[in-house]
Amino acid sequence: MSNYISLLARYLRPHVLRVVLLCVCLFGAIGLTLFIPQTVRSFIDLATGGGGMNDLIRLALTYLGLTFLTQLLSAGSAYLSTDVGWRATNLLRADLFRQTLDLDMAYHKDRMPGEMIERVDGDVSSIFNFFAQFFIRISAAFLLVIGTLVMLWRENWLVGLSLTIFAICAIAVLHWRRGIAVGPTKQERELTARIFGFIEERLSGLDDIRANGAGRYVMHRFLELQRDWFAKATRANWLRGSIWFWTNLFFAIGYIMVLGLGVWLHLSGVVTLGTVYLFFSYMSMLESPLEQIASQLQEFQRSAAGINRVRELMNGPRTIVSGERTLARQPHSIEFEEVRFRYLEQDVLKGLSFFLKPEETLGLLGRTGSGKTTMIRLASRLYDPTGGRILIDGVDLRDAHLRDVRRSVALVTQDVHLFCGTIRDNLTFFNSSVSDECILEVLDELSLRSWIEELPEKLDTMLGPSGSGLSAGQSQLLAFGRAFLRDPGIVILDEPSSRIDPATERLVTRAVDRLLKDRTGIIIAHRLATVARVDKIMVLADGNIVEYGLREVLARDPDSRYSMLLRLSAEATNLDEQLEHIESVSLVEQVEII
Amino acid sequence: MTTTQYLLRLIAWRRGEFVKNCFAWTLFHLLPLTYALVIKAIFDTLSGRATIGLNPWTLIAILASAYVLRLGNFVWCFQLFSHYNYTLYAFLRRNLLDYLMTAGGARILPESPSGAVTRFRDDISDINLYIERWVDVWGNLAYSIFAIALLFWIDPVIAGLVCLPLFGGTLVIRLLQNNIRKFRLQWLEATSRVTDFIGEAFAAVQAVKVAGEEDAMTERLRVLGHERRKRAVIDVLLMEMIRAFNNGLVYVGIGLLLTGAAWKMGRGNSFSIGDLVVFIQILPRVTQVMTFIGGMMAQQKRAGVAIERLEKLLVNAPEGQIVNPAPLVLTGPLSSFVSSRPEGVRLETLEVVGLSFQYPGATAGIEGLNFSLRRGDFVVITGRIGSGKTTLLRVLLGLLPKTAGKVLWNGQQVEDLASFFRPPHSSYTAQIPRLFSETLGDNVLLGDTHDDHLLPALKYAAMETDLAALENGVGTMVGARGVKLSGGQVQRVSAARMFARGADLMIFDDLSSALDVATEKQLWQSLLSGPKTTCLVVSHRRPALLRATQILVLENGRLTARGTLNELLATCPEMRRIWDED
Repeated sequence: MSNYISLLARYLRPHVLRVVLLCVCLFGAIGLTLFIPQTVRSFIDLATGGGGMNDLIRLALTYLGLTFLTQLLSAGSAYLSTDVGWRATNLLRADLFRQTLDLDMAYHKDRMPGEMIERVDGDVSSIFNFFAQFFIRISAAFLLVIGTLVMLWRENWLVGLSLTIFAICAIAVLHWRRGIAVGPTKQERELTARIFGFIEERLSGLDDIRANGAGRYVMHRFLELQRDWFAKATRANWLRGSIWFWTNLFFAIGYIMVLGLGVWLHLSGVVTLGTVYLFFSYMSMLESPLEQIASQLQEFQRSAAGINRVRELMNGPRTIVSGERTLARQPHSIEFEEVRFRYLEQDVLKGLSFFLKPEETLGLLGRTGSGKTTMIRLASRLYDPTGGRILIDGVDLRDAHLRDVRRSVALVTQDVHLFCGTIRDNLTFFNSSVSDECILEVLDELSLRSWIEELPEKLDTMLGPSGSGLSAGQSQLLAFGRAFLRDPGIVILDEPSSRIDPATERLVTRAVDRLLKDRTGIIIAHRLATVARVDKIMVLADGNIVEYGLREVLARDPDSRYSMLLRLSAEATNLDEQLEHIESVSLVEQVEII
Repeated sequence: MTTTQYLLRLIAWRRGEFVKNCFAWTLFHLLPLTYALVIKAIFDTLSGRATIGLNPWTLIAILASAYVLRLGNFVWCFQLFSHYNYTLYAFLRRNLLDYLMTAGGARILPESPSGAVTRFRDDISDINLYIERWVDVWGNLAYSIFAIALLFWIDPVIAGLVCLPLFGGTLVIRLLQNNIRKFRLQWLEATSRVTDFIGEAFAAVQAVKVAGEEDAMTERLRVLGHERRKRAVIDVLLMEMIRAFNNGLVYVGIGLLLTGAAWKMGRGNSFSIGDLVVFIQILPRVTQVMTFIGGMMAQQKRAGVAIERLEKLLVNAPEGQIVNPAPLVLTGPLSSFVSSRPEGVRLETLEVVGLSFQYPGATAGIEGLNFSLRRGDFVVITGRIGSGKTTLLRVLLGLLPKTAGKVLWNGQQVEDLASFFRPPHSSYTAQIPRLFSETLGDNVLLGDTHDDHLLPALKYAAMETDLAALENGVGTMVGARGVKLSGGQVQRVSAARMFARGADLMIFDDLSSALDVATEKQLWQSLLSGPKTTCLVVSHRRPALLRATQILVLENGRLTARGTLNELLATCPEMRRIWDED
């Protein structure tokens, strides 16, 4: 609970004025609500005492005025509580979002986007609901109950006492009855889930069932399931309904009690008729808040879970820490020094060492699982190596300022993730500080400028959810665009391996060439044709470098893997299989040598 | 059938229960009027204007009994409705599933299974909620009618003064509420923009990190959140204004009442304190019938949409299948399942002539397929991916509706393929078999009460060692909530399912795709060492092709070659290609 209060306080602080106004409205509304029955009481007493018409009419108008004001204040407090609630939780949401983005990739790679939405938006929204609904309403309810009891005590201590005891008992009993319904309700929900699970399973296997003549049997099983559900659901439903029963039983007792006391006190001449009505009126005012308190007590548990999950997320793993050293803006050299990477008890990289001069390009080959993807992830500092180090221009990546690393190293992967937003937004990641001229220049490099200028909205053309509206080839070019915009010193590229239409393929090839011009580059190739233009070739197998050298040299050496690949086919369709083939050949050769 | 017709049939199914519910709930809604009358009497007595000569204590006792009566009435009502409501749920679900599972004719589900489940859940719920309204409407109407009658009986002038603005105002709100929906939609849109953005951002988290643009993305979230807040606040404000207006109407009504009463009392008229109290008590609820009926009309529309969607789900169903009045027994003893084995005609020959089918809106399918087989044949259908092999099986089995052609069993044309091609005539294993969340034994037997079919079937399916490795043997729970079986095990259980049926013709699709070489061999061996069954198989595997008595080669939905393996290897290039690839 104190956790919760401190969290709430931190995010409410910037909105103190609104919170104060909210309290004023709330207290005002409650106060007026408590006062209004007094007006009716005065009316009744005046009427029974033979009061003048003018006075009575004045009371009627007072009544109208007060109720109007109450409605205004209560609308105001609802508005303010919603407004403040959203403002505060929007702040929390943005903070949480930022901090979660910062978490290590190791955290993110196993997460489904749906889960993240639930945590960043769902949990925070439940906190909002807690504040605006539970907290405010319960506070208002409590205040109303206490206020009503106070007013009753003021009138007559006996009535006040009886109703106070009554109120306490009511809350206790109602809460208890709600608790009783929880178990069976859960059971019912499980059974309902089981029914729908059954339906879904059988519908998925509809063919199997129909062609094997098992339809009647399935319906028999379904009947069994429904009978079970019927028995438990009706019981759970009754337990829920019994809450109404107990609530009304209690209030029936309450009304009888209040009327009984009122009648007795009136007949004894202690209170006026108007006051009897007042008692009755206050009693009916207790109904709603008492029910609220009883029903909302369980909401609290739901929100507590949300807060814990939010804290858990904020304390997630964050091992990629920025260094201090700056990197110059130039094509960089990159060096791997005995780099190892261990993940889940497995050595994915077993000690890689190589050096690339500035503006050199490296073609990286290897079968699935050889460690290529891990290598490029380490080179772009999405992960830190578990052994050895990676140096850019002689500076260890871990010592360099993260901002500079991000600017210097661009990574373009096969999966392009786009956003629902304009083309501009997709290129700049919603960063409004990038000028349109910059963007158009970049698009020029990609030969996309004319295509953009032909669109009616140009850069403001909206893409649909997850960037729908672009072809696969265009998306790939957009990804290149993102890299170009950074003007990086090193480009790391995981070549798209799926086929794009030939026209776009030419553009992509050209874009790659332009991107790599005057920059250092590492390309994971899936086609030999791509690798034909690089300076050096490296072949990875099982986390080790099995071949590394200048491309021309390797091409001329008949025993090198690279030349074997070249011989295997002019038009490489399945590099993976060919590498496997070469691998097995090499192993055989090695064995024969031994 | 219109929504009303569906409604009437649904009510007619358990008419007695419906009527009882209407009666009980009408009583429930009317009883509070008695409270008002008793309280009026109490105040009248106390103010010396008693019209009934009872002392206040008696009156309080009467009030207490009225409360008790209502509580008892509630227990009765609630149980009645609970029973009725849940019965209706079970009824509608049963009708839908029954048609999908057992009715003849082809059945292509127009939606994915999870989409279909949403129909079961939400659309049935909408229909039920509509029925609920019909149960409640009588009580609401009765209350309003009696309440207004009471007020007018007490004092027509004040009643008129007070009720008219109340009704007028409520009407105005109803008209306004449609405009409100627009704002609600905007809020929902703003919310999905936020959640979509969060999803996209985390899907692209690697790209965001590499670009170092976490701050820009966070700023975007702030902007979207700002938008959402504005819309939420407008929505709340509007709802609050409506609520305030609604309450306000009542207060204005009471204010007018007080004014009117003041005037009447000032002139020494017959308006008593008791009358005042009755008005104050009744006024807030007097217009509730209007709100109720408004809600009811909205619910009717929703129910109409729901029924349409359900009709679409039940492709080709007879009218009113949703409310098919077959009996449903939800309580009391249930007899256990007895499997019936319909008499079948033993297979001698099967002839397929000109069988065709095209997927709606696509060019894929099968066209003019002719072939025949005899008892004891092992026919293999082969071809590359997309050539129509699985489609052929499914059309033959009646799982897909043929567009042309006929099928002759022993020379007799089969009218309804779906009802015919099941045990004892044929049994089937799909390309992607599905197991259910039941025991292994149940999954194989699927209702066949001859337990002695179980173990031999599993043996033929080469499952003996796997069975031994399972702790509870055939009693092991499998499927989503049980032990997770490997792909190969699932295929073999599905094969066992097919074997257990003891059908004349076994039809299966690509049985060995997930099996290793040794298990595959074992399975093919079992298949042919068992009782002489005729098999129609889709496969490209060598063991199958070698054992085939006849091979059918499909290309692009057409039968391009027929014959034995040797014949086809010599004459058909496609056959050679398929043979080589394996």
